[in-house]
Amino acid sequence: MSGHGGANPLARAGSWVADHAAALGEPVSIGLLCETAVDRLDVSGATLTVDPGSGWPETRYATDALGAGLAELQLTVGEGPCVDAERGGGPVLVTDLDAPGTQLRWPLFTPLAVDAGAHALFAFPLCVGAIRAGVLALHRAQAGSLEPAKLTDALALAGLALRLLLDEQADRRAGSADRADGLPLHDPQVHQATGMISGQLGVGMEEAFARLRARAFAGQRPLAELAADVVARRLRFEPTEDTT
Amino acid sequence: MNDHHEQRLARVFVELADTLVDDFDMLEFLSMLVERCVELLDVAAAGVVLSDHRGALRMAAASSEQARLVELFAVQTDDGPCLDCVRTGLPVYSANLAADEARWPRFAPAAVAAGFVATHAVPMRLRRNVIGALNLFKAEPNGVDPASVQLGQALADVATIGMLQQRAIDDNTVLVEQLQTALNSRVVIEQAKGVLSAHAGVDMDHAFTALRGYARSHNLRLSALAFTVANGTADLTAIMAGGERPARRAQR
Repeated sequence: MSGHGGANPLARAGSWVADHAAALGEPVSIGLLCETAVDRLDVSGATLTVDPGSGWPETRYATDALGAGLAELQLTVGEGPCVDAERGGGPVLVTDLDAPGTQLRWPLFTPLAVDAGAHALFAFPLCVGAIRAGVLALHRAQAGSLEPAKLTDALALAGLALRLLLDEQADRRAGSADRADGLPLHDPQVHQATGMISGQLGVGMEEAFARLRARAFAGQRPLAELAADVVARRLRFEPTEDTT
Repeated sequence: MNDHHEQRLARVFVELADTLVDDFDMLEFLSMLVERCVELLDVAAAGVVLSDHRGALRMAAASSEQARLVELFAVQTDDGPCLDCVRTGLPVYSANLAADEARWPRFAPAAVAAGFVATHAVPMRLRRNVIGALNLFKAEPNGVDPASVQLGQALADVATIGMLQQRAIDDNTVLVEQLQTALNSRVVIEQAKGVLSAHAGVDMDHAFTALRGYARSHNLRLSALAFTVANGTADLTAIMAGGERPARRAQR
């Protein structure tokens, strides 16, 4: 299921966005990422909403008016694939918004979405465990599933969008991520350390993760190494200091 | 194989096939798979890794959460039997991990340090797709015995089929939704372990045991409970008090 072309999907998605940015002479951004998604994934539009912590998602970028409208609509009626994706922490892939099962699941959202011209909607939550940074939504005017290779690419682009948002949260300039460190999200100790810092500082998981990253940048240390120190209790975050 | 064992085995196969429920939770399901492996097979530990669709393998469940075992799945992002197994779609094994350091420079020493002598990884395959691997570990020499390997593969097959039939689908949409959800829930559990560990001053294994014990005794889903711990809405003291003498601890 993984794999076409053999390359690491995340790296390939990264090079697409970087190429797109280079061609336009612009820095890598959420907007460019959405435009790249439309170019590469055979979808009508891409929309990225972020959760600023208030529980009310904000639309950061939409490649077309329909995408912006779908985000607005889900906010208004309080239901929809993006709402479920954000809540559940997994993608919600709706191949036919007009199907009876879909209408049953979101009775308020689906008729209005179809009226607006959307027939398929694929919502990818941008999350690290309990951290919910936002949702990348791809829509199509025609019903139908994302073919497996496109789905893999969509997941990779969502992974990239997540990294851009996390970089912002860690007060870093997008696109300047040091590839050597990357974000070792496969490392359980990074998440364990985030949980411990959350407890030590009495802050939410987003804030704890941003603090961990900031400390790693400041000390020029790999994130995984710092996380291991936290888990082994060689390093403790104190509420009074560390406002980086 | 005695009658009791056969009956137990039959029950487990039924349990693994019984996925046609509305509130199917892949993480709970895979946790059950690895626990049953350790009960039924002659192995010391078991775990499941899943492909995350982004070019990496992630641990979804392990028979224990001891740091050394969890670490064994984490290093398999770089090398190890699971990685080879998922790449080739074939079983991969080592009967003597100490002699396999050249083959798996990160995994083999970590496995030996964790006290394991032999390992066997079997693919979790859905038609042409390999979605992950079941990894068995043995602490005594001579490798994982053929009967355990066969049974392990059968359990992995039934589990994988169960995961797919769980909704009648002809594409991988639902599977991808569930895989990704399970992998994220796994991260929530790690975060929750950290919160509990900082709160109570215990190690990750103890934190997990308390979390799982509380979920079971209160009939809660592990992933749902972990989420409340991670977002700061759970009663940490009650969770750490656990099933043992909750009354005495509660007075503190």
